Amino acid sequence: MTYQTFNKKHFDVLKEPMFFGENVNVSRYDQQKYPIFEQLIEKQLSFFWRPEEVDLSSDRGDFAELPEHEKHIFISNLKYQTLLDSVQGRSPNVALLPIVSLPELETWIETWSFSETIHSRSYTHIIRNIIPNPAEVFDDIMNNKQITERAESVSEYYDALIEGVNVYNSFGVGTHTINGETVEVNMHDLKKKLYLTVASVNILEAIRFYVSFACSFAFAERTKMEGNAKVIKLIARDEALHLTGTQHMMQLFAQGKDDPEMAVIAAECKQEVIEMFADAAQQEKDWADYLFKDGSMIGLNKEILSQYVEYITNQRLIAVGFDTIFPNAKSNPLPWMNAWLVSDNVQVAPQESEISSYLVGAIDSEVDTDDFGDFSL
Amino acid sequence: MSNSPVTPSGEANDFFLDGLAGTQNPDFQLEPDAAQTALPKTQTELQLPLVNPEQPEPAPQFEFDGMAKPVFTIHIATDTLKPQQVHFRSAKNLLESLEAQNIQVPYQCREGYCGACRCKKISGQVTYIKEPMAWINDDEILPCVSIPTSDLTLKFRG
Repeated sequence: MTYQTFNKKHFDVLKEPMFFGENVNVSRYDQQKYPIFEQLIEKQLSFFWRPEEVDLSSDRGDFAELPEHEKHIFISNLKYQTLLDSVQGRSPNVALLPIVSLPELETWIETWSFSETIHSRSYTHIIRNIIPNPAEVFDDIMNNKQITERAESVSEYYDALIEGVNVYNSFGVGTHTINGETVEVNMHDLKKKLYLTVASVNILEAIRFYVSFACSFAFAERTKMEGNAKVIKLIARDEALHLTGTQHMMQLFAQGKDDPEMAVIAAECKQEVIEMFADAAQQEKDWADYLFKDGSMIGLNKEILSQYVEYITNQRLIAVGFDTIFPNAKSNPLPWMNAWLVSDNVQVAPQESEISSYLVGAIDSEVDTDDFGDFSL
Repeated sequence: MSNSPVTPSGEANDFFLDGLAGTQNPDFQLEPDAAQTALPKTQTELQLPLVNPEQPEPAPQFEFDGMAKPVFTIHIATDTLKPQQVHFRSAKNLLESLEAQNIQVPYQCREGYCGACRCKKISGQVTYIKEPMAWINDDEILPCVSIPTSDLTLKFRG
């Protein structure tokens, strides 16, 4: 049962399920059970970007001029995003790699997690730029009750799966006595933990992230904090890909062609997963309460953000094959989000740009009327 | 330094700047020099392209003269709004055609990987111009990467 970094058994990898089959041995992509994961890898690699490419010089001034309650919204939102990507930068690797059985899926998980680490680094880049002492912001993530509550809800399913897999890898299926405690390991239970984990990751990336994106883009809609919005736009483009990955996993599980037992589990957990979506929506609404506790900002308030939570929750439920749970949220209350999320106007190659960003801080990009003072015609 | 011309070493008829000496070259002949008699017609009128590629027209449905273009009827149904009927002529993809005709479709990536524009196809056929990466069920299509190949009936949520 112990995890093997290079499985010496001979087997046909095309007959393996996505998870809980043989450990992967040769990382080969000439034959693939699900070519979609290879396509996701290629797309993700083509999206590669670095936080330092984005020029944030105008954000510092914008931030200083924001009223206090808007500073609170902006910084809290960034803290939340930092938390989400801290989890996503490591958890898919820790939780899923020990049990994955297909080389293309294994590599997708690694590529996916890696791109999340770029997101984490970009938050430091943003915060460093607008606040003299970034430690204030990062230290508060661990002390702020509102944030730590959220950390609990985004990581509980991961932790349950990791714990289960640890025991399974050490002792295998059966009833074991560990440190005086009786622990029962059965495949059905482990697979259920896996299914719920993938569902909770889908919720994290498809709902929670999008609520935070709405806040970031709301500032940029008023031409404030536009450098930050450029970074978030790049992050949103990556996240769209990641959630497509988890949607594929959930749909493949539900179909049962991959692993018949997973289809049984998906049907069994249907109600539980719908409740997870509903809980997440409620938590996001509570978060909106906290964000706007000292006042709304132009273009976004608690009500509108809550409507957006309901709308996006419905959309994501449909995408994984469930029915909607908010009958009144039929249209998007933030129609301008589409324009921010569209990827065809995200700058891909720096040299083909619109572009403050290519100059990576090499040149002072500020031009003022004073600069033309010594011109005469 | 003396000003005497530089004499090439070796035989004087070894080579010429624009080719080998004629006598040593019986296999082919250079075309005789001929004075250019007709100058190319000068363009007297400034010809601008009909469409400025930098600023495409607001509606992406271009008309092509003399080209028979298939026009497909698209019936749109939703749960709440009354059914609508539009036509697909020659847009880049179904999504652009719908948008040009004031049908609001949710979108994000417009490249087939996010699945935001996913909708139900009740009847008809589409072809994909790019392989869709988002999950789509058998009865669904992604308008952002497809074009119709027959009349269509689509159903959008909301």
